[in-house]
Amino acid sequence: MLTRSHLLVMLLALSSGLTACSSSTPPVASPVLRFDREVNYGDDKAVELVTNEFGSTDLQMIAEKMTGSLLETGIFQGRPTVTISTVKNKTSEYIDTTNIMNSIQTTLVKSGKVRFTRSINEMQAGVDELQRQNQSGLYKQHSTAKIGKMTAAKYSLEGELTSIVKDNGSTKDVFYKFTLKMFDVEEGTIEWQDEKQIRKTSKR
Amino acid sequence: MKSLLLAATLGCMTCLAHAAQPANPTPPAVAAKVALRGEPYGVRVAEMRIVRKNDILTVQADLENTVRANRTVFYRFRWLDDMGNQVGDGESWKQMGLYGLQLQTVKSVAPNSSATDLKLEMNVEQK
Repeated sequence: MLTRSHLLVMLLALSSGLTACSSSTPPVASPVLRFDREVNYGDDKAVELVTNEFGSTDLQMIAEKMTGSLLETGIFQGRPTVTISTVKNKTSEYIDTTNIMNSIQTTLVKSGKVRFTRSINEMQAGVDELQRQNQSGLYKQHSTAKIGKMTAAKYSLEGELTSIVKDNGSTKDVFYKFTLKMFDVEEGTIEWQDEKQIRKTSKR
Repeated sequence: MKSLLLAATLGCMTCLAHAAQPANPTPPAVAAKVALRGEPYGVRVAEMRIVRKNDILTVQADLENTVRANRTVFYRFRWLDDMGNQVGDGESWKQMGLYGLQLQTVKSVAPNSSATDLKLEMNVEQK
């Protein structure tokens, strides 16, 4: 049974607690520049579910699956040379497929199990540098990189990304399939192949 | 009346505890490799198989939903070297749906040969 004196004691305790809180030191400001709109750095590895278009999580999942599959097969015994060929985007979206291949290449290079040679897209920059060193007359003869010494790739990576989209007005279903093949350049045979399938469904 | 209320409350709490903890929890040897954030909501890691293939550590983990309701699991593997340091930049988080009473296998491959151990980070959502 609560009496009037009990209530008085409780109120006093509450008010003294509030006073203690208000007199505590304010938190220190973080070294950030912020305006009205709240902006924060997020977790770059978090599952991105903003829309069901191709996103960062799809890119990361594809790259992880492909590199994992390549590394566990043991096809890279003896650190062979590999180059990146075409990666076709057969979806209706604009997707920078080079980004997927860059992620795969980065992980494979960091694994130390394989050496990458210049891809077709990267070749012109290499040729330009060789020509600058050998034909400009600006460099000491013995210090220049020699023409005709490049190592050719034993394997070539070719991929494609496709999608199937279904939309009935209330539900949108997107199915992505990324297929990657590794060809033996000399023999023209497929030495490894894998695919990653992703289903994303959104409801309105 | 008071005892009836108390019994009902205790009953609810028992129900919640059952919903959170699977009847057959993750085995201790596997649990040592799992970093679970929050409640498992009936999901357990039934088995974990770690094999070194071609000098690269690979893992397969069986995630089992022990309840009838569907669950959503967020997970990723964290690879560690023999000093306990993280190997590589860390995997991305993955989302996986588990139907009621379903067992699903997830797998991963270490980014390089220096990985000697791993942790499965996961959390479970009820929806």
